Amino acid sequence: MRQTPFYDRHSALGARIVDFAGWQMPIQYPQGIVAEHLTTRRHAGLFDVSHMGRFCITGKGAARFLRYVLTNDCDQLAIGQAQYTVLANENGGAMDDAFLYRPTADKFLLVVNASNKDKDWAHLQTHVSGFSDAVLEDVSETAAMLALQGPQSEAILRSLVTSGALPQARRNAVGSVTVGSTEVCVARTGYTGEPVCFEVFIPAQGALAVWDKLIEAGASPVGLGARDTLRLEAGLPLYGHELGIGKDGREIPVYAIPQAAFAISFDDPNRKFIGRPLLEKQAQARQRYKAGDFSDTGVLPKVVRQMRLLDKGIARDGAAVYYEGRQVGGVTSGTMVPCWDYTKDGDRIELRDTHAQRAVGLCLVNADVPVGVRIEVEIREKKLNAQTVVRNLENRSGPVTAAVL
Amino acid sequence: MMIDPKARYMKSHEWAKHQSGNIFTVGLTAYAIEQLGDIVYMELPEAGKKIDREGSFGVIESVKSASDMYAPLGGTVREANTEVRDNPDMLKKDAYETGWLIKIEASSPAEFDGLMDAAAYQKYLETEA
Repeated sequence: MRQTPFYDRHSALGARIVDFAGWQMPIQYPQGIVAEHLTTRRHAGLFDVSHMGRFCITGKGAARFLRYVLTNDCDQLAIGQAQYTVLANENGGAMDDAFLYRPTADKFLLVVNASNKDKDWAHLQTHVSGFSDAVLEDVSETAAMLALQGPQSEAILRSLVTSGALPQARRNAVGSVTVGSTEVCVARTGYTGEPVCFEVFIPAQGALAVWDKLIEAGASPVGLGARDTLRLEAGLPLYGHELGIGKDGREIPVYAIPQAAFAISFDDPNRKFIGRPLLEKQAQARQRYKAGDFSDTGVLPKVVRQMRLLDKGIARDGAAVYYEGRQVGGVTSGTMVPCWDYTKDGDRIELRDTHAQRAVGLCLVNADVPVGVRIEVEIREKKLNAQTVVRNLENRSGPVTAAVL
Repeated sequence: MMIDPKARYMKSHEWAKHQSGNIFTVGLTAYAIEQLGDIVYMELPEAGKKIDREGSFGVIESVKSASDMYAPLGGTVREANTEVRDNPDMLKKDAYETGWLIKIEASSPAEFDGLMDAAAYQKYLETEA
């Protein structure tokens, strides 16, 4: 079982440690998942995500290689930007979803799920040999990775910068700054739905000093438990739930997730990439669905919808979903998530000191199940009322997020 | 208090205490509550519901999981603690007094003697749990 450079910090803080994809990771600290979720939405949460796989791609052939193995087009990625992307397979399914960062002109960094890292590495290895001058390197152990998320995270990070400037305030911007005496790569990315969000890549030897400074400056440690509730509330997919192999044993087409639209690029008609023929068919199906045409759902029978329970209870992964009396699919992720109460004044909101909780989830349902309709979820042989929703969380000026109630 | 000396215990971390006559109060141990983490939802039975010994009498859910709770004694549910059901945070403060979950009228009160006593439960926690 492997440990990240921050393992002793987690232990000292009293974290509950679990085995996750071969790593000993904090699932929660003594504050608990609910408090950690809420503090991220109001202040700033600090997440150890060093278990994630990180591959560095360099060399003259780097872009050509990445344009073949990834669905997004790295030629459209400016220096100092990052993009969501997918490692597709020939069936139009996902081997993994990932983020591709371009910190400098000649270097790409691909961050993949910890649970898929070995599989991804083997897959990329088999393909990289076909590209001369593309160098693929596993740098997971040479650098640590932290996520700092939430409204206060920018002020906290800025207070620690000793030289350089944070990347421009635009989603997915990437830059580099010095924190104390350590040069770190900073990206405005994350997995919480927070509009103010950072992920920081730190050389392993400077990692602890950066963690300590962030905690001292007011960031609260957050474990994997709240990482999951935060992404769920934001409607973000998780491989193994909304991507990969579904509950029915069948591969989930990448276009089942709405985020596919940002992760796949067909702009260059001459670019060949793994899975393209089927992904194009899925994209066309999405277009037809948008126009209300569900006559052919063969390549994309089901799509992921966000949902919210109306009755008391919790919809969990695997629960059957019904619409107009017939089963249309199942819940892929679901739990109870907390949310701050707030008062509203136009677009501005004021978070109150009290919080509520709501049972939210993601479900994979027939493509013709609309957003905004009543559905039922079967929980312990009872059918509970729920509804499909556009979103459970929205951005408000502040900038903060607020629960959509 | 992690263990109430007056209660008897099951391996699945429910406790029972004799109240009066054939009536027993039933709850979840402090150890179990601590292990669950944030408790976000509970289902408890209605009064009058018949339950079997070691049968599920309700569900307790944390953010991460849903767990059945099992009856230490068979019988008829006389009351459920709706205050705790609606405010599961109360369990963290006191698992054995205000945190009781149901009152059972036992059909075979002698089942109580078959449960682990406090010392045995303590030992069970140290060795097996």
